[in-house]
Amino acid sequence: MANRSLIALDYPNANSINVKDENTFRKIVCWLETNKIKQAPKETVNFLSNINSKDWKKTYDKYKKFLGCPETLSSDEESLQWIIGYAIREEYCRKKDNFKKATLTDASPRNVPNIQAENPLDKLDFHSDEFAEGINQLAKLLNITPHTDPTITVKAVCQVITTRLSEHALKNPEQYIVKGTPFPLKDADLGIDLTDPVLKHAAKVLRMLYIQDLRNLQTKANELIVAAQKVTANPKTDTRLGKVGF
Amino acid sequence: MVVRQYNDELKYLEKLTPYSWKIKKGFQPNMNVEGIFYVNKTLEKLMLDELRNACRPGMVGGFLPGVKQIANVAALPGIVGKSVGLPDVHSGYGFAIGNMAAFDVNDPKSIVSPGGVGFDINCGVRLLRTNLFLQDVLPVKEQLAQSLFDHIPVGVGSKGIIPMNAKDLEEALEMGMDWSLREGYIWAEDKEHCEEYGRMLNADPSKVSVRAKKRGLPQLGTLGAGNHYAEIQVVEEIYDKWAACKMGIEEKGQICVMIHSGSRGFGHQVATDALVQMEKAMKRDNIETNDRQLACARINSTEGQDYLKSMAAAANFAWVNRSSMTFLTRQAFAKQFNMAPDDLDMHVIYDVSHNIAKIEEHIVDGKQKTLLVHRKGSTRAFPPHHPLIPVDYQLTGQPVLIGGTMGTCSYVLTGTEQGMLETFGSTCHGAGRALSRAKSRRNLDYMQVLRKMEGMGISIRVASPKLVMEEAPESYKNVTDVVDTCHAAGISKKCIKLKPIAVIKG
Repeated sequence: MANRSLIALDYPNANSINVKDENTFRKIVCWLETNKIKQAPKETVNFLSNINSKDWKKTYDKYKKFLGCPETLSSDEESLQWIIGYAIREEYCRKKDNFKKATLTDASPRNVPNIQAENPLDKLDFHSDEFAEGINQLAKLLNITPHTDPTITVKAVCQVITTRLSEHALKNPEQYIVKGTPFPLKDADLGIDLTDPVLKHAAKVLRMLYIQDLRNLQTKANELIVAAQKVTANPKTDTRLGKVGF
Repeated sequence: MVVRQYNDELKYLEKLTPYSWKIKKGFQPNMNVEGIFYVNKTLEKLMLDELRNACRPGMVGGFLPGVKQIANVAALPGIVGKSVGLPDVHSGYGFAIGNMAAFDVNDPKSIVSPGGVGFDINCGVRLLRTNLFLQDVLPVKEQLAQSLFDHIPVGVGSKGIIPMNAKDLEEALEMGMDWSLREGYIWAEDKEHCEEYGRMLNADPSKVSVRAKKRGLPQLGTLGAGNHYAEIQVVEEIYDKWAACKMGIEEKGQICVMIHSGSRGFGHQVATDALVQMEKAMKRDNIETNDRQLACARINSTEGQDYLKSMAAAANFAWVNRSSMTFLTRQAFAKQFNMAPDDLDMHVIYDVSHNIAKIEEHIVDGKQKTLLVHRKGSTRAFPPHHPLIPVDYQLTGQPVLIGGTMGTCSYVLTGTEQGMLETFGSTCHGAGRALSRAKSRRNLDYMQVLRKMEGMGISIRVASPKLVMEEAPESYKNVTDVVDTCHAAGISKKCIKLKPIAVIKG
């Protein structure tokens, strides 16, 4: 981690150095201050550059305090990482404009083939008669009752195609065709207190759709539990513990 | 208790419909609301005879008759609607067993009473289905009964075969069936098909005494004694084909397994501990009741809250217990038939609690209210489209499992809208005792009872045969009378009838 950051800062031979080595460590700190951070008073820099000095540690502690390095970072490695981060921030602020340009030029596609970003469907007039007619024909073909608003019909058509006519669904129809006994919707009361038969039917359909939604949600919850069980489950029995009472 | 002649007592009772009676105010002192009880002709006679006996001079001691107990509950502070007696009602500690009562949580005077829950907290019934039929099971019936008996320890002082330490127990008390799920003892669908999804969220194990935990630890995964049992049953009758189909019951002859058990010594200790606390709270808050056994505390008092939290922990214990037995039952069947439980389609149809108090929303006098509903020997029976029942039963109403007496039959009912309005979505729970335990022991011979079972083609394994006459069908009301009354009164609807072919019990 430290090495990569140092490479970014153009530290000489950053690839091959060992930051855990005390001498190298001292060299790096000194280098960072002299070349990148450039904030400490002159005498501190002088002391830091004297890497063999007995008092180097003391100066280093002072220097850390001066930069505002948090005291909770106990190990040298952590504090070094923090100072490198500080240096990077300084470097970035100094050359901000340069970096900004670089981001822009780099982000534009170089190796990617040129795709036109526009969707041909965007050009369609969804409210033209031609569109409505086409969609209604498509709906008829798929056995879907068209809605007066063709955009809603499109949504329905889209749903049928993606769920029932997908490649997987066509290969494995048995997984998609709903099994079970049909529900006698017409005869069922469903506890809806409405006199208008059309309204009542609509309410019943909504209720059934709600139950279906609920079922899907519950199935997902169950799948989640099963996935968690794969990690946690470890059922045990020990027949020696068993004792029949009287 | 007010002492009156039997005929004077009758003046306070009024037959409302062929299946229900009203108990008017004044039958017992200080009644805040009226009482109601549901009976048919046969049960009516039992009920009134009990009252008549109690009116005879010199009758003291023992429990009060059921009708009197229902009326005493109607005199508790904060009760709303009615004090309801279900068809299987019979005398119990304080509250009658088969009594439900709801208290307004927002009324500061409202109370919670351990007697209204019972000592076996969250005693309940769980029904598993299989895709086996009678002809698959008959040849191996004896082996299967033995295998179940070997897997599920029964009897007083029995110990379970699922290893648990103190830490496991703490977690189980807090998590309920989520603990069983996490440890892999049950399936995700089991939780879906369980009242409260198998976990009371307000459980707080720190409110439970060390003594209760000590008693409970070795007992997880055991059936217990008394009226508890595990039965292999066969579908004998389907009344509501469509609802049965939703439960995965397609035809007569299909095999199911019913487990009836509760929270064992753990729940008993929680209730005992709470009663001591409540007596203190009653003195402090000047709560007066008609019967000393109706010890209670205000819902919002420390004692009330502590009881609700520890009761919830006991409820979780019971669910883990039934879940562990579900696991063991699946193992027993899997070994016998050499098939995975999945392939035997051993799904939980439902799991009901019939000794519990829960916070629910109900409409009282046209207004929605938050109530603490006590159900003691009474099963929740929510109607179709209720938000608290599983999605699979949204159209049928909640399945209600009615365990019969040993050797008779059991029923599956469904909840109805009428029940929601009349009985706060509650119905009966079983047959209900007709003779006391002591009386049954005096009147019946255990060998005879066992021979009779054999004669009916029922394999039976019991830990203590000498107690079996306490549970003999003769000691109980006829479960069919009870269920028919609920059906006729409209508070729940008959769906399936089941008949036992093998029984294991304590």
